[in-house]
Amino acid sequence: MAGDRDTADRYFEPQVETMPREELRARQEERVLELVEYAYAGSAFYRELWDAHRVHPRDVRSLEDFRARVPFITKDMVRAYRARTGDPFGGLLCVPPEELTSVSSSSGTTGDPEFFAEIWQDAPPLVTAQVRDLWELGLRPGDRVLSPPGTFRNLMDPGYQALGAVVIEVDTWMGKMHEVVEALRTYRPAYLQMMYPQMVELEHLAEKTDLKEAFSSLKGASCAGQPLSRRMRERIRHDWGIDVYEYTSAADTGTAWECREHDGFHLWEDTVFAECVEVTEDGWRDVPEGELGELVATDLDNRAAPLIRYRSEDLVRLSGDTCGCGRTHARMWVAGRRGDETLVRGRSVVLRDVWQAVEDQPETVAGVFQIVRESREVDELRLRVGYDPSLTGDVDALSGRLTEAVRERTGVKPVLDLRPEEDLLKTMTSVAKFPRVVKS
Amino acid sequence: MARADTLARARELDRPELAYVVRFSAAGGTRETGLTRAELARDTDWATARLRDHGLAPGQRALLTASGFEGFWGHAVIGALRALKVTYGIAEAMGWDHRRTSVFHRELRPHAVIGLSAETLEGLAGGADIGEMFRATPVVLARPAAVPVLRAVGVSACLLTPVGPALALECPERGGAHVNGAEWRVGDRDGQLFVAAGEQRTSHLPETPLGIAGRVVPGRCGCGSEDPRVLLAEANKPS
Repeated sequence: MAGDRDTADRYFEPQVETMPREELRARQEERVLELVEYAYAGSAFYRELWDAHRVHPRDVRSLEDFRARVPFITKDMVRAYRARTGDPFGGLLCVPPEELTSVSSSSGTTGDPEFFAEIWQDAPPLVTAQVRDLWELGLRPGDRVLSPPGTFRNLMDPGYQALGAVVIEVDTWMGKMHEVVEALRTYRPAYLQMMYPQMVELEHLAEKTDLKEAFSSLKGASCAGQPLSRRMRERIRHDWGIDVYEYTSAADTGTAWECREHDGFHLWEDTVFAECVEVTEDGWRDVPEGELGELVATDLDNRAAPLIRYRSEDLVRLSGDTCGCGRTHARMWVAGRRGDETLVRGRSVVLRDVWQAVEDQPETVAGVFQIVRESREVDELRLRVGYDPSLTGDVDALSGRLTEAVRERTGVKPVLDLRPEEDLLKTMTSVAKFPRVVKS
Repeated sequence: MARADTLARARELDRPELAYVVRFSAAGGTRETGLTRAELARDTDWATARLRDHGLAPGQRALLTASGFEGFWGHAVIGALRALKVTYGIAEAMGWDHRRTSVFHRELRPHAVIGLSAETLEGLAGGADIGEMFRATPVVLARPAAVPVLRAVGVSACLLTPVGPALALECPERGGAHVNGAEWRVGDRDGQLFVAAGEQRTSHLPETPLGIAGRVVPGRCGCGSEDPRVLLAEANKPS
């Protein structure tokens, strides 16, 4: 697997990736000060907000000033501006709309998709920021990659091709895993982008197909959209022989990937200024390094519509310690999303505990489930769970076992809605995300 | 800027000329052919000219609906939109993503919608009047099964479709979708289309029956182009 390979040629941009943190901090400060001037001059949203908070760029002369004076923003604030003004970009644009190269969007799992305005040359911004990660994974010129399942946040191919990889056009969307396995055997690719539903599908294929042999050409595969459970991760790594690299959103400023050490997600801090804070009604404070807080991000490399002190709602631990890979950029470990916790008659239920109970049943080992709730505080824990029909002889018996397992883990007896796994996965409205908490 | 520096470093790599291995359905099963960077650049130039024929111009907006495995033509169309300085939004062509198409269409009011699929239309039809939605869009380039659906509700849709590894794009004359005659040879036999690589193409592709019902229109198009044009039975059947 990739982690065992020679590391002599490990960094794509060694000077940047292993830059001393003081130097990185100085670079961030320089960029933040430029950004504040730039956003105030160009963005109607920031100008209005900062004027209301009596913040002017001339008062921001250091990172400390920036953090002390510039207010946080939230997705709801941008949505409210969009609703009030009719500006589809929520007032964030710093350039005339005709200067944009492209507009991609979020998955829209919790409402209308949010737009991401983009200006770029050789490759779209999201995949460009992944080039270093793909290099770390082992991708090199001439390697083959399978085309990704979706267009995500724009066409990914130009990023792969910037690295010299050759894209093999294969439909890797749900329901096509048998074709993917055939393509793996034929083309022997080095890299494959995967999504959670594909893992579920592969789990079923594993009984009749030698997946370890099929995946043996891969230097690595990535997986995003939602965290893999420990059990699924072990299955992928050990049973299928895939060195799987999870990645997650860097608060909508880019992505954060695991390196070969698989010990946290690296933020590229020359593209994002990250803070880990606790926000209360009275104000905010920095969370001590290593403790859980909310990720707040500022775009350092986005002249179209930069996010500035954007509260991501992601609960993370953040560390600036140099990684075992030698990179100095901060790493984060994601614990979940603010608001994912459900209070059932006052008792806290977290996704992790439900997930564990679901995975422990052979028929639901793929972990396809959702908490159905109208609000965070509910009177009963309603769970929708997908089962594998080929392994399920008696749905009632499964229901009884699962009810008891969830009750043991969470202390709450759930109301179950069991459905065939495939039916549940078909309700996905995103290429990447299977929503774990839904309203109906 | 960080990303610009990353791409500058990438340009120093010894990158192969091959950009894609294009797999496509043919009468005899799945076939493949290579697509080099130089060919992609020529395909982009050709698509730029075709989109310019549709009146696309700097400052306009377009919505492209395409899937992850359609880069072999999507990449060229994106390159063309960039060359024309048309800002594009992107959504999946699969039916489940129709909501994104709807939001892009409502919020960005694109001058052109490119790659519209029947699956997307089916999804949209659940909550919108498709005719009302697209009649006001000056340029609609739709996939074969979507064309009759759109035309039936009064939308002047033109055809966009892959013909094997080639892209076919109908001009405003709507007299069949043009295929780049400098790069590909297309023809019909027994009511079915075939394609072969032209001499310029690096990867040799012999005459390959595609299993697509249609015919090639002879002669010069009303737009002045000498490119061969394909008429697909699926795009011309009554809705």
